[in-house]
Amino acid sequence: MTERVITLKNFFEEARAGRLTAIKCGHCGELAIPPKEFCPGCQQRAWSAVPLSGMGTVVSFTIIRVPPRGAPAPAPYAVAVVKLDEGVSLLGRVVDIPFEALKAGLPVRFRPLVAEHQTGIGFGPA
Amino acid sequence: MRRVAVIGVGVTRFGKHDLTSAELFAQAARDAIIDADISPSAIQALYYGNVTGGEGEHQLHLGPLAATLLGLPTIPTTRFENACATSHAAFRHAVTEIASGSSDVVMVGGGERVLNVPTEAATEYFAYCSDASFEQPAGLTFPGVFALIARAHMDKYGTTEEQMAHVAVKNHRHGALNPKAQFQNEITLETVLKSAYVADPLKLFDCCPFTDGGAAIILAGEEVVRARKRAVWVLGTQAATDTMFMHEKRDLSRVPATERAAAGAYRQAGLGPADVDVVELHDCFTIAEIVATEGLGFFEPGTGGFAAEKGWTSLGGKLPVNPSGGLKAKGHPIGATGAAQIAEIATQLRREAGPRQADGASIGLVHTLGGNAATVLVSLFGRD
Repeated sequence: MTERVITLKNFFEEARAGRLTAIKCGHCGELAIPPKEFCPGCQQRAWSAVPLSGMGTVVSFTIIRVPPRGAPAPAPYAVAVVKLDEGVSLLGRVVDIPFEALKAGLPVRFRPLVAEHQTGIGFGPA
Repeated sequence: MRRVAVIGVGVTRFGKHDLTSAELFAQAARDAIIDADISPSAIQALYYGNVTGGEGEHQLHLGPLAATLLGLPTIPTTRFENACATSHAAFRHAVTEIASGSSDVVMVGGGERVLNVPTEAATEYFAYCSDASFEQPAGLTFPGVFALIARAHMDKYGTTEEQMAHVAVKNHRHGALNPKAQFQNEITLETVLKSAYVADPLKLFDCCPFTDGGAAIILAGEEVVRARKRAVWVLGTQAATDTMFMHEKRDLSRVPATERAAAGAYRQAGLGPADVDVVELHDCFTIAEIVATEGLGFFEPGTGGFAAEKGWTSLGGKLPVNPSGGLKAKGHPIGATGAAQIAEIATQLRREAGPRQADGASIGLVHTLGGNAATVLVSLFGRD
């Protein structure tokens, strides 16, 4: 058994369709995004894919005012680390939430940010 | 294992140059050879650091190029890339080569050139040091990475933007004493606090600049060190890694790789934080200095901002941090930074730092962080 339960490509194909997926260790219960070969917690290899609700709360955030070349949106835009309700975290761009409303603990909901060749992780109002 | 010493150091002026990164390194390497008072032919290997040569200069295979421009085209050489910790990582491997007995004299260094490209291009290249699946598509920049850390530290401990500003003011005050620093001007708290946000809560003056520069150090095994009085001994050197994904870091207010690398280096050296007299650490952003002073064990978690505000980390304070001006004022040519930090600590321990000399500097520590806090190296140095 050497195939991955889920690859980065699968993860983003699912995300593009609005579905977030984590992998869960069948040995210690650790949830992870993205997939890895061995569980960082217990070093076992007993992953299965589990669907996530997409609901979570902001852990930390920033407002990018000096963007890189090829930025996904005109600056300023917000980026946040979000702890999902299932306990695993994910980083994404925040959309449709005023900057002033951003704070740790703010409830948000996953949404895919679909560009032509790439799917980005986004979070909007819960 | 054999003891290993730093026997020569060289650093270019930091700032804008019309020289390639490999030329910048070669100039610093020349100065290191003169400083060590050895023949160039004594050098048996080059451990070379550069990060953005492929992107900004369309140049890879940089180790042989650097050796060729130095005039030592036949020594074995390897190019290292560990984001901003690049040449400190190269240093650790060079120490191992000498300690193992494979070589007696090895050069470590780096060169970086980024001021030849527009800021948005340099920002893009640096962002390649964060993850390309989640972080780059979200538009996360390096100031953004440390802004996430800053926000978490502020929320958890009440650290303020003013406390962060104190780090910038202090490092500019030190940089004004360093003739090779990119910024040799003092600034006020107001200058920092009124500067524009780059990635909230970090403002322009919380951020180190883009920098061109080169640095080199020469290492030697104990039996071949001739000028023992000037030798600066490597007492410990450790690397640590943490998850590459910002979203997997369990506590954004801390850098676990700093804590683990420091613990290993202290153990190797048989020393603790209280033994350290002078520090060069990775202040790519003001919050990075605050978090590093906590992770290295100098101050309790959450009190690094208070220590900065009280002046404890200033020259003349309890523990001088970044007497060179740090990345903030001296500048940050990323592939050369680790070697430049080690060069500064060697200079401090030899008591040759002139107006920026830390009093009673006998034990020095160097801390270099790479990328999104995924790589950290910590090394300790001392004199006989």
